[in-house]
Amino acid sequence: MNTIKELYAYRQMIFSLVKKDLRGRYKGSVLGFLWTFINPLLQLVVYTVVFSYILKANIDRYYLYLFVALIPWIFFSSSITVGASSVVAQKDLIKKIYFPRMVIPISYVTSCFVNMLLCFIVIFAVIIVTGVGVNFAALLTLPIIMGVEYVMALGMALLTSAVTVYFRDLEHILGIVSMMWMYMTPIMYDKSIVPDDLLPAFNLNPMTHVIECYRTVLYNKAMPDLSTLLFAAGLGVALLIIGCLVFNKLQRHFAEEL
Amino acid sequence: MAQNEIAIDVNNITKSFKVFLDKGSQLKERLLFRKRSRYEERKVLRGISFQVKKGEAIGLIGHNGCGKSTTLKLLTKIMYPDTGTITMNGRVSSLIELGAGFHPDMSGRENIYTNASIFGLTKKEIDARLNDIVAFSELEEFIDNPVRTYSSGMYMRLAFSVAINVDADILLIDEILAVGDANFQAKCFNKLKEIKSHGTTIVIVSHSLGQIEQICDRSIWIHEGLIRAEGPPKEIDLEYLDFMGQKLQESTRKELEEKQQEDESAGQPEEEEQDETPEEKKRWGSGAARIKKIRAYSSDGAEQRIFRTGESIRFRLDYTVKEKVPDAVLGIGIFNRDGVQCYGTNTRIDKLTEFSLEKNGSAEIFLEKADLLPGEYLLDFAIETGDGIPVDYYREAYKIEMISNIGDVGISRLEHKWNI
Repeated sequence: MNTIKELYAYRQMIFSLVKKDLRGRYKGSVLGFLWTFINPLLQLVVYTVVFSYILKANIDRYYLYLFVALIPWIFFSSSITVGASSVVAQKDLIKKIYFPRMVIPISYVTSCFVNMLLCFIVIFAVIIVTGVGVNFAALLTLPIIMGVEYVMALGMALLTSAVTVYFRDLEHILGIVSMMWMYMTPIMYDKSIVPDDLLPAFNLNPMTHVIECYRTVLYNKAMPDLSTLLFAAGLGVALLIIGCLVFNKLQRHFAEEL
Repeated sequence: MAQNEIAIDVNNITKSFKVFLDKGSQLKERLLFRKRSRYEERKVLRGISFQVKKGEAIGLIGHNGCGKSTTLKLLTKIMYPDTGTITMNGRVSSLIELGAGFHPDMSGRENIYTNASIFGLTKKEIDARLNDIVAFSELEEFIDNPVRTYSSGMYMRLAFSVAINVDADILLIDEILAVGDANFQAKCFNKLKEIKSHGTTIVIVSHSLGQIEQICDRSIWIHEGLIRAEGPPKEIDLEYLDFMGQKLQESTRKELEEKQQEDESAGQPEEEEQDETPEEKKRWGSGAARIKKIRAYSSDGAEQRIFRTGESIRFRLDYTVKEKVPDAVLGIGIFNRDGVQCYGTNTRIDKLTEFSLEKNGSAEIFLEKADLLPGEYLLDFAIETGDGIPVDYYREAYKIEMISNIGDVGISRLEHKWNI
């Protein structure tokens, strides 16, 4: 409870770190902020070529099918991989000055989140330009889905960023883990083609449910399945609680370990 | 004492650090050498308790590694104590790291917002303070330029201005009053006094006892992780200086003894050859007479190497004579750490009647008021003949240290008086 109060007091710090991160991210590159859009778009092109042209997934409007899942995934995976090193990256600050340490992963995940929101502009542009259209009622649930994903990403980032301080290998391990995680989540393919014996693993994967919700709303233009959404929310909150507990325990010795 | 009058309550805190002899933070090392990652536990704080009243200013003093900076870090909550508790009542601001989170590409104004937010200020609070901060930093013209265009002095001025304008209830300061030029330093110092008069609790860690004496109501002397003494700065600081003096003396004596042992083990018979070995550069001359031993005494006759600025010092040199030295001249030269000669004289300059050295004996020079300012000084002693041929010129023959708790600067104190 105290932590929350303190984090609220430091909201300006979170805000300015997010701003600094967003502004500083593409500093010095020619295309600058455009990279926020170019990067996922290029990934989209690659995956679309591979999965709809070469491997022939036989999914209608595969580019959109993929796009609405890929953007949320990029947010999640960058939150855990790059987020893992966020605390280590701010070691000068941590060693020298007091502030609630959670500010760092929170602001990092938030800046990734803002990035995702910006990418959603592109998603909507594609939806409108290609004449797919939207279901406004379903669209109202989108913020909730995003919120659930944010909570999950934050839980994971708290966990990975705190552990990385003590165990630096994690950063590198997470690169592989996030790739495996991506293929174990129905992003490029449909959950229906997953073999039955693997299904339990997919169902335990919190991102499966989140991605499904995004897809239902944006691709199928339907209301998301309430039980899926609730289940995802439950997993998200559980992750966040675990993340907070671990982070709080580990943060006491950050200054000495860094 | 009523509970609400206490700003800081430190209750029996201990802290130890693991000093890893060879640390493996990679998976392979962690797994394979689990048992082998040996470390020593170094107890930095062994149980410190103190209370600070609201509005009180205290200074933490002690030599390097005594745990005073660790104490300050625990107060800021950068680290946590192993055992014991710390209660801080009120908003804490620390002047430990200035300019935390400054981004070189952002303007001074934007950096004020970033930096102040790290101290836990909200946008509204920063808005309210912005003018004060800018005014205090004297950077009005440059405030919208990127910080990378600032000189280091300007950078520190901006950083200090933010930190000092946080309006904390408790201000923690670690060796910071070395910001910018002398004018700005004075300004910072006055600002600190002003802040203190508004009732802010201040904790300072500093080597500058002068600063502590000017601001603090109380000094706490931490020695090897324990509080050794606390009380009015004037008293505690003196006690501390004396202690440090003695300690230094011990270590120099030990050094000296070791040196002497080496000298002795080198053996007397080869003395003449010895002149050409390493000592050569530091010592030359015909060798007809040699300085054997140098000692320094304070006014009360105790042999020592640490003196207070303004004290009297008596140097006594014992010499041995192999051949008679007619028209001998004895000389002394005092050099500071930078090799600057602070003073030098000899018996000829002082127009002493001619004398010759015929047999072993000793001579003394008495400095009635050694006004050298704090620092280490190396002394040359020399025996020459009347026509300036060195008999035994001994460079850096002796080392003394001057201490003082007055903050004047330079090489030597000049007698002075102000008329205002």
